[in-house]
Amino acid sequence: MTESPVPTQAVLTDRYEVGDFFDEMFTSAGEPRSHYRRLHELLSEMTAEAFNESRSNADISFLYQGITFTVYSQHEQGIERIFPFDLIPRIIPGSEWSLLERGLSQRVTALNQFLFDIYHDQRIIKDKVIPADLIFGARNFRREMIGINVPKNVYAHITGTDLVRDDKGNYFVLEDNLRSPSGVSYMLENRQAMKRTFAGLFQRYGVRAVEHYPQELLNTLRSVAPHDNPDPNVVLLTPGIYNSAYFEHAFLGRQMGIEIVEGRDLVVHDNRVYTRTTKGLKPVDVIYRRIDDDFIDPLSFKNDSLLGCAGLLNAFRAGNVTLANAIGTGVADDKAVYAYVPAMIRYYLSEEPILHNVPTYLGMHENECDYIVNNLHQLVVKSVNESGGYGMLVGPHSSQAERERFRDLVKADPRNFVAQPIVRLSRHPTYQNGELYGCHVDLRPYILCGENVRIVPGGLTRVALRSGSLVVNSSQGGGSKDTWVLSD
Amino acid sequence: MLSRVADALYWMSRYVERAEDITRILTVNFHTLLDAKTEDAQAWEPIINITGDEDLFRRHFDDFNARNVSEFLLWHPANPNAVTTCITHARENGRGVREQISSEMWEHLNRLYFLVKDIKREISARGPYEFFDKIRHGSQAFQGITNETMTHGEAYEFIQIGKHLERADKTVRIIDVKYASVNQLREGPESSLQLIAMLRSCSAFEAFRKAHLSQLQPARVAEFLLFNQQFPRAVAYCLQRALRSVALMSEDAKHPTGPHRSLGRICSELDYVDINEVLGVNMRPYLNRLLNIMNQAGDEITRTYFHTQVILPAEYPPRQQQTQQQQ
Repeated sequence: MTESPVPTQAVLTDRYEVGDFFDEMFTSAGEPRSHYRRLHELLSEMTAEAFNESRSNADISFLYQGITFTVYSQHEQGIERIFPFDLIPRIIPGSEWSLLERGLSQRVTALNQFLFDIYHDQRIIKDKVIPADLIFGARNFRREMIGINVPKNVYAHITGTDLVRDDKGNYFVLEDNLRSPSGVSYMLENRQAMKRTFAGLFQRYGVRAVEHYPQELLNTLRSVAPHDNPDPNVVLLTPGIYNSAYFEHAFLGRQMGIEIVEGRDLVVHDNRVYTRTTKGLKPVDVIYRRIDDDFIDPLSFKNDSLLGCAGLLNAFRAGNVTLANAIGTGVADDKAVYAYVPAMIRYYLSEEPILHNVPTYLGMHENECDYIVNNLHQLVVKSVNESGGYGMLVGPHSSQAERERFRDLVKADPRNFVAQPIVRLSRHPTYQNGELYGCHVDLRPYILCGENVRIVPGGLTRVALRSGSLVVNSSQGGGSKDTWVLSD
Repeated sequence: MLSRVADALYWMSRYVERAEDITRILTVNFHTLLDAKTEDAQAWEPIINITGDEDLFRRHFDDFNARNVSEFLLWHPANPNAVTTCITHARENGRGVREQISSEMWEHLNRLYFLVKDIKREISARGPYEFFDKIRHGSQAFQGITNETMTHGEAYEFIQIGKHLERADKTVRIIDVKYASVNQLREGPESSLQLIAMLRSCSAFEAFRKAHLSQLQPARVAEFLLFNQQFPRAVAYCLQRALRSVALMSEDAKHPTGPHRSLGRICSELDYVDINEVLGVNMRPYLNRLLNIMNQAGDEITRTYFHTQVILPAEYPPRQQQTQQQQ
């Protein structure tokens, strides 16, 4: 700690500014919300000194346990950093959670039906609910998948949906991540760190557990084994130790007690996948893969990929191995296809969406494209296939030159861009550098889908630590905090 | 177990052991020098000989003195066997098999890594001895933690093989260099000092004393370090242990595997050699032979367990035994 705050000063003082946002802890009048009351009391009593000490202990234990992520495109290649962790938890009342739970499960069910449909009869296109060129022009639409059946018709086994709240506190879906979403290990490790620090508070609060996530994930993976194999060999496929999420791969592999393999550990023979072991070859049934479609099989996709395994797609098409998530799920988290998810829910489930989308303008529609290029200063513009906060423009925070560049980009390839109005993201008190201030947050729960849909009560709350910043991604200076779902 | 994983465990363990051995050799030399009258170069050149990196050293330094040798062995970027490099490699290997080793082991490996990362600052702040102690304790603690927190299954055995082969290799090299210099001396205080240094370099001084009481002679010391079956750094002990691990793994094989055969052979030889056959001028050729056999055993291990060819299950006809290795 470089700061030396006055020792007797409490963490939470009346200097905290709620600001002109929805604050998760305080009402606009500055009163703590009822589900935050006990935490509020604690923070008003705890001295900054004691708090700092717990905080640096948590930092050190993260470093020693190797809970780090790697940052690319820096001068030093692949520096390791601790994913900044904020000790003040985000709290969600039980009633609010059950709404989210229903909304997410509805959404994931519809998305899976959509994926089944577009890789089979394409009814949704024939019925003109979604334009054909949007699907066939999507970069992550995989023709190789057409007509292929996957166990239980599930494509997206693991989904990490990003939720945000606006200035009224309403929840919106910001994006659906159906291509191996990451971050769940932070949800679990943050909880461990919090339990060490605030043991007493947990009991009094009735926080619902998240520790069973790895078991739920394993159950999900086992339930989708090919040929209903009751005792499948499940492995986790990682790009390797230089991947920024490798820590997470190893963590989940260990928690589930499954082998983590790299492409070079796999070999395909007669459309069957095997691992190379010290005692010869061992058959594999389910692959929880943390590699993008593009890299998974050099015979079918990028032919210079060293990360995948030659012949894997054929083994998959032959139904001898399950890939989680399936190949081709990326088409559903295309940011332009996202705009149609509410329509999917109505089309497949005949229900009204419980969770709403952020209003989205599509570059592919001429009039919306005009609106985008003329209003860049008040929109967030996103490239449809990028993730991790790359390839986006935050209008109000951008320079004239950046806006010019994006105007040209959008005009050159309108299909590739969408724009959304700025959501005045909710804020949460966050303690950094001896100071308690409001930071913008989002929430990523993890939705598991096998035989049925399961959601562990909690998720990863990401924090934009840079004061005023709206980007919460770990690669862009974001941090995280523990998320408590209460059992009331 | 995955071949890649076995490979990483084996090397993780070898590198930790290597870092410890190099540190101990350095420490002992510093201590010995406090009592000796030898010139700097005479005292430090043999240390580089032990590691077998003379050519590399000469390419970067002119003089064999305490400063250069320490820098070379501790952190010089050109030296692939420098302590910092060893620990970094050990950690990289451990990282690749994070789910195979216990969290305690991984945490400890990280501690070691952060310690050597700040090596220059650590040494200037606390002096070399405290730093050396930390590395040594770190490595020993790592072996202890491994022993106590990990299932003693196949993964554990690969760690043991790596450790014991590395240790045997270093002991042989220490004997080689130190025996040569003692042999030139007449029996007297100077020779005793060198013999004590030789034993201390293998943490063997006290153990030797218990076994041989007052006979501090080159022949007895060499015999102890080569053939003792109970001392954990003696060559015979290390190779016995490596053999035991390999035998455990090939239990269900019909014939002994390559590494099993080569380790078995050398172990029986060590059982029956008389120290008098290898004293004096015979020492160096014999030690070279030992090093060669150990290298062979290492290669056999790589071939047998790490670079497995694709052996198809029996139901496939043999014509399909093409190799499908991808690197």
